[in-house]
Amino acid sequence: MAFQNRNKFCYFKENGINYIDYKDVKLLRRFVNDQGKIMPRRVTGTSAKMHRKLVRAIKRSRAIALMPYVDRGTE
Amino acid sequence: MSFYETLYIVDPNLENQALEKTMDSIGKELEKTKSKIINHRFWGKKRLAYPVERQKYGSYIIMQFEGGDQAKMVDYNTWMKLNNSVLRHMTILLEEKPELHVEIKNSESEDENKKLTNDATDAVTDDSGSEKESVVSDSGSENEVEEPKNQDSSSEIEEDSESKEVE
Repeated sequence: MAFQNRNKFCYFKENGINYIDYKDVKLLRRFVNDQGKIMPRRVTGTSAKMHRKLVRAIKRSRAIALMPYVDRGTE
Repeated sequence: MSFYETLYIVDPNLENQALEKTMDSIGKELEKTKSKIINHRFWGKKRLAYPVERQKYGSYIIMQFEGGDQAKMVDYNTWMKLNNSVLRHMTILLEEKPELHVEIKNSESEDENKKLTNDATDAVTDDSGSEKESVVSDSGSENEVEEPKNQDSSSEIEEDSESKEVE
């Protein structure tokens, strides 16, 4: 378990990103599993502050059909 | 005043002239609320993540503006909903003032303008996407790939230990 913590860091803090654009689907796809579910913070290592922004961005892009609500992940 | 952004999806079967007409009519409708349009540009024809009104593809158009009369925005919103050529729309509050996007190209002639804006917007979106993508792939992929492995291995170990116990 100790090894897992070394790989954990907030992607957004590391890269100095403060605003997550809901139109940037390529970025948001990284934080979603193949079913289209939002990955938990304990898996992605995102900081709490940025995770809240991330969730909002993902939900926005879902509403405007840029990202799926439900994805089988087979396509 | 605060700044807003409306992203809306238009029927992909509309051709250039019809598309421009709908864009114009939407722009005029928004100007009734006394808000100032900063950007109004075609973002691209994209595959929708799920079918909307039986369409698999849609033309995305971005409109950024400075907010006007709040009370009239409700009318604008309902008007957008009733507009048949708009499949879906969403208005969000921007944190900062948006940058001008197509001001330089407007000075040139119209025919060139269309080509240029299309090419330029494509290029811009591609660049930004690829840069971010490359950054992500360096760090993010490790994170995502390795952690499931750890979980898998740990679960396997657990299974092994269980089977030993049974024996």
